[in-house]
Amino acid sequence: MMSDKKKKILIVEDETDMVSALKIRLEATGYEVVSAGNGQEGLRCARRENPDLVILDVMLPKMDGLTVCRMLKFDEKFQKTPIMMLTAKSQKKDVQQGKEMGADAYLTKPFKSEELLETIEGLLKGKA
Amino acid sequence: MKRSDEEKHIENKLIIHEFRKKISWSIVIRYCLVILGLVMFQISTYLGDNASLSFVLLGLVFVYNLFCHLIYRYKKFEVPWQMVVFAAFFQIFDIMAITFLIYITGWLDSPYWFLYLVMIIVSGFGLYFYYSITVFFIALFSSIFYLGLMLLTYYNLVPLYGAAITLSPSQMLQSIFNKAIFTTISFLLFAVTIYYFSKLLNQNRAELVQKNRQLLIALEDLKDIDQMKDEFISTASHELRTPLSVIRENLSLIADKIVGQVNDKQTHLVESSKINIDRLTKILDNILDISKIESTSVDINRHEVDIVHIAGKAVDLLSRKAEEKEIKLETDFPAEILAYADHDQIFRVFINLLDNAIKYTDSGGRILVEIKDTGSQLEVSVIDSGHGISREDQERIFDRFVRLPDNDGVTREKGSGLGLSICKGIVDLHGGKITVHSKIGEGSKFMFTLPKVKPNDE
Repeated sequence: MMSDKKKKILIVEDETDMVSALKIRLEATGYEVVSAGNGQEGLRCARRENPDLVILDVMLPKMDGLTVCRMLKFDEKFQKTPIMMLTAKSQKKDVQQGKEMGADAYLTKPFKSEELLETIEGLLKGKA
Repeated sequence: MKRSDEEKHIENKLIIHEFRKKISWSIVIRYCLVILGLVMFQISTYLGDNASLSFVLLGLVFVYNLFCHLIYRYKKFEVPWQMVVFAAFFQIFDIMAITFLIYITGWLDSPYWFLYLVMIIVSGFGLYFYYSITVFFIALFSSIFYLGLMLLTYYNLVPLYGAAITLSPSQMLQSIFNKAIFTTISFLLFAVTIYYFSKLLNQNRAELVQKNRQLLIALEDLKDIDQMKDEFISTASHELRTPLSVIRENLSLIADKIVGQVNDKQTHLVESSKINIDRLTKILDNILDISKIESTSVDINRHEVDIVHIAGKAVDLLSRKAEEKEIKLETDFPAEILAYADHDQIFRVFINLLDNAIKYTDSGGRILVEIKDTGSQLEVSVIDSGHGISREDQERIFDRFVRLPDNDGVTREKGSGLGLSICKGIVDLHGGKITVHSKIGEGSKFMFTLPKVKPNDE
């Protein structure tokens, strides 16, 4: 049973232009968006806001994306929360690493916005 | 630190190798001298009762030398100091045996006297140049020892073995003098030969060691540069993609009318911009790939894979594109061919070749993908009935950034020009060869070979 409340998405990304573009897109689609500019802040924000999905960039200051992902997955509160990793690296081993850390989806930049939205939808449906 | 260890290792190996060669020569000379001694023994008349004993001893020395030679040949010395010790023992026993031999064959009158001195000098020279200063001193010591004994005998402080042969001082002096001349001549002959021989070997060795040192340094530098290049490519790739993704997202937002109304003209411009962003991205991907393929540290993961299966997947993937252009896409594969290759890379090669074939073949044309098993290799051919490629273009088609124009000379198809060079890179890495046969107006045949089994040097 889907809740009436808007789904909350947390974006952890240090590129502010990227964050604002994503925010516009996601809010227009009907999601609530919160954001953090580095890894540590991302973790704090997640614990505070309890998002339904986390979009995580791999390259982050203060704590890199893969570590944040691992830490979230270790935390019981977020085990069910889907994590989507965004990265500019498209090498196989990075995808592999991401999957090992527990990421639920992996999207390489630049991505097509349809792909992004579809993946988010899929992940959120899977969770509910 | 690592550099000097490797260097030392190579230097050691060289030294051992040269040492062994030198010792072999030295031993050969000994054999010759021993045989000469035997011959002399035959023609010698004044050995009397000691003849048989000396013969036995000579035989023992011969056998001993043979034994040492065999040990040198088949024993592997890991560290040079072992060689020095071994050589030292070799010398000591040798000299002791010869000394005893000479002693019982009449000391000063012994026919083996010159043999003895020559052997000491040969060994001394031979071993001296390979930091066996110890051995040289042993040889020197032995010579002094022998000469000392000679002097003691002259002054009657040491008795002669067997029948005492009394010589007057003048006779003894004469005897020494005769032998001295003979020995000196032999000594000079051998010394000169051995000296030049050693010098030659020394030179070669020094050159080799120097060259090796230089190569090792160059190798280390290249490795560093290679790693820097990889890091740079990786960083640059990330740096370029981030703004690209922002631009693309922003354009998407405009095109999707999320930030306000846009008229048709604006939409068209934005869509065109998006397409070009995608083109840029693809080129970036290709550049990253080709730099990886051309670097020595590429991640190519080879396993036993079924090439036919990979080809099948590629054909399936592109069959729709061929259909849309009304091109007949046919295949001629055996059931299965296994080869030692990287699945993803070979898949890319197939995709590239098929994509090109579709691009450059007109509607109603035909493309055939053929795989043949030729024993130790397999041959893949992609044959199309397209425009064909001129001889001049055939020569440069595998170069980077080369794109060929369409029929009417206008490059309608947009590509980065890296596809075929990436194919060549991949095929080369697998130890295969990629070629093109084509005639204008008659179509083209792209063929590549792949070895089936793991090459020996891996």
